[in-house]
Amino acid sequence: MNYFIIGYYAMLIGASCVAAYFKNRQAFLLIFTLTLVSFVMGLIGGESVLWSVTVAAGLIAASAGIAYSFREFLIIILPKQGAKTMRTAPLTASFGLFVVIIYVIAAVFAPVIAPFGQAEVVGTSFAPPDDKMLLGADQLGRDMFSRIIYGARNTMGLSLMTTAIAYLMGCVLGMLAAVRGGWLDQFLGRLVDVIMSIPSLIFALLLLSIFGTQLYILVLVIAFIYTPYVFRLSRAVAGNIVVMDYIEAARLRGEGTWHLITREVLPNAMAPLVAEFGLRFCFVFLLVAGLSFLGLGIQPPTADWGSMVRENATLISFGEITPLIPAAAIALLTVSINFIVDWMLYLSAGLKD
Amino acid sequence: MKDVFGIVAKRLGLGLVTLLIVSIIIFGAVEMLPGDLAQAVLGQSATPETVEAMRKELGLDRPAPVRYLDWLKGAVTGDFGTSLANKRPVAEQIGPRFANTLFLAAYAAVIAVPLSIGLGIMAALYRNSVFDRVANVATLTSISSPEFFVGYILVLFLAVLNPLFPSISSLSEDMTLAQKLERTFLPALTLVLVVTAHMMRMTRAAIINLLASPYIEMARLKGVPNWRVITHHALPNAWAPVINVVALNLAYLITGVVLVEVVFVYPGIGQLLVDSVTARDFPVVQASCLIFASTFIILNLLADVGAILTNPRLRHPK
Repeated sequence: MNYFIIGYYAMLIGASCVAAYFKNRQAFLLIFTLTLVSFVMGLIGGESVLWSVTVAAGLIAASAGIAYSFREFLIIILPKQGAKTMRTAPLTASFGLFVVIIYVIAAVFAPVIAPFGQAEVVGTSFAPPDDKMLLGADQLGRDMFSRIIYGARNTMGLSLMTTAIAYLMGCVLGMLAAVRGGWLDQFLGRLVDVIMSIPSLIFALLLLSIFGTQLYILVLVIAFIYTPYVFRLSRAVAGNIVVMDYIEAARLRGEGTWHLITREVLPNAMAPLVAEFGLRFCFVFLLVAGLSFLGLGIQPPTADWGSMVRENATLISFGEITPLIPAAAIALLTVSINFIVDWMLYLSAGLKD
Repeated sequence: MKDVFGIVAKRLGLGLVTLLIVSIIIFGAVEMLPGDLAQAVLGQSATPETVEAMRKELGLDRPAPVRYLDWLKGAVTGDFGTSLANKRPVAEQIGPRFANTLFLAAYAAVIAVPLSIGLGIMAALYRNSVFDRVANVATLTSISSPEFFVGYILVLFLAVLNPLFPSISSLSEDMTLAQKLERTFLPALTLVLVVTAHMMRMTRAAIINLLASPYIEMARLKGVPNWRVITHHALPNAWAPVINVVALNLAYLITGVVLVEVVFVYPGIGQLLVDSVTARDFPVVQASCLIFASTFIILNLLADVGAILTNPRLRHPK
C-alpha cells in the first residue's frame, strides 16, 4: 500500500461523497461505479491498472478542458452568426473541430514542422527518443515524429482525393438516375446492389491484387468501391427532390438534364451530402489505413500511418507504445470527424422541428 | 402465411442471382489482368515458349466463359483448382483455415450478441443519462478506431504489460477447446469490442424508434409498468430490427476478421487472403474472395429473411 493507491481511492471516494452531498445523482453513480470497478481491477491487475485509469482520466479531463477553452475561443473570434451556433455546440464537437484543425495545419505545413524528411535516415534503427528525435527512430532509423507529420499529409490527402472522386462520380450518377429515371435508374440501382454485396476490404484486396498497388490505382479502386454508397445516398436525397413542383416547372421550361442537376437538385441536396461527406471520408480513411497496414496501400518509403503501425509492430512486445502513436492518430481523427458529423446531424435535425 | 413464403422465396432467388453475378465479377476481375494470367505470373522476362506452356497448363487456351463454368462447377463442389504458389489444391489450404475463421467469428459473436443487445436496450431505456452518454462516446470511439489499433492496445495491456493472455494465437490440431479459447481470447475480444459498439448503437436506435410509437405511449398511459412495456409491447416488435442488426454485424465481422487475423497471426482465411494477394496467387485469392463474399451475402440474406419472418404485419395479413 503506497501513497498513490491511498490517494487514488481517497480522491474517488471523496469525489463521490461530494457528488452525493450536492445531490448530483448521475455524477455520483459514475464516480462510485468507477471506485467499485477499480477495487476489482486493482485486485486483479495490481497498481499498473490504477495508473492506467488515472492516466485515462487525466487525458479525458485535459481534452475536455481543451474543448471547453477552444469553444470559448471560437465564440469570441467568430462573427455573430457563427458564435451563436458555437455556443450551443457540445464539448465533443468543439474537441473534434480542434483536432481536425490541428491535423490540417500539420498536413499543410508538414515540411516546415517536421525536423527531417520522411525518407531521411537519421539514426540507428529503433533508436530511443532523445532531444533530436522526439519519438525515437523507426525500424530503418528514420525519425518517427517527422514521419507522423508527413503521414498526416499523405494519408489524409489520399483519402480526401479518393472521397472527392467517389463523391463526384456517386453524386453525378445518383442525380442522373433520379432525374432521368427509367431503365438507367433501374440498371444503376441493380449494379450498385451487386457491388455493395461484396465486402469493401475484400473487394479492394481483389482489385489491388490484379491491378497492382500504384498510388493512382489505389485511389481509383477505393473511389470505385465507395461510389455505390454515395450513389445510394444522392439517389435517395435527389429522389425526394425531383417530385417537387419547381422541378416540374423547370422541366416544363425545357431545361436540360445538366441544368436540372446542377441548378435545381444539387443546391437543395447539399446539406445531407456534406454531412455524409465526413462519414464517407472516415470510412475511406480507415480502408486506406487498413490496406496500408496490410502492406497493400501506400507504398514505402512514403510515410503513412497504417504501414507505420505494421513496420514497428515488433516494438509492442517490448512494452513500447511508439507503434500505437500512428494508430492513435488515425483513431483520433476519425473519432473527431464523427463527433462533428454527429453535431451537424443533430443541428440539421433540430432546425427542422 | 402464403404471402410470406412468396416474399421469402423471391428474396432467396434474388440472393442467388446476386451470388452468381458476384462470382462472375470475381472471375472476370482476374481476366482483366494486363496480358493474361500466365504472363502476369511469369513476368516480363519469360520466353514465349514458357508462357505458352503455362497457358496450356492453366487451360487458358479455352474461351473464358467455358473456364468460368468449369470454375463455378468446381467451386460449388468444393474444388477451387490448384494454387500457383505451391501447386497444392486450394481447397486443402482453405478448408482448415476457414474452420478457424468461423471458430473465431463464432467465439466473438457468442459474447458480442447478448452483450450488445442488453447494453443497447439499457441505453435506449435510460437515454440521455450518464450511462447513455458515456456509452455513446465509448462506442463512437471504438467504431472509429481501426481494428488493428484496438488489437494492439489489447496486446499491450493484456499480453505485454500484464501477461494474462498470449499475444500470438497460433493453433494446433491437438489443442483442447479450453486451450483454443484461451489462445484466441485476444482476437475474439478485439472483434467483440468493435462489433459490440456497432450493434449496440444500432439496437439503441431501433429500440428508441420503437419506443416513440403511439402504442407504447398508449401502454404507458394505461399504467403498464415499465418492464412490462418492454417485454410485452416493445420486444415482440423489436425482434425484426434486432435480428437485422445482428445479421448485419455478423456480416461486418467477416471484414473485420481479416485485419484482426493479421494482427494476431491467427491461421485463418483472412491471413491467407492477404498473403496470396501479396504473392499474386490468383486461384487462392479468387477462392477466398468468393467465400468471404458468399458469407457476406448469405448473412445479409438471413437478415432480410429474418426481418420478413418476424414482421407481425406480414405474418398475420388482414
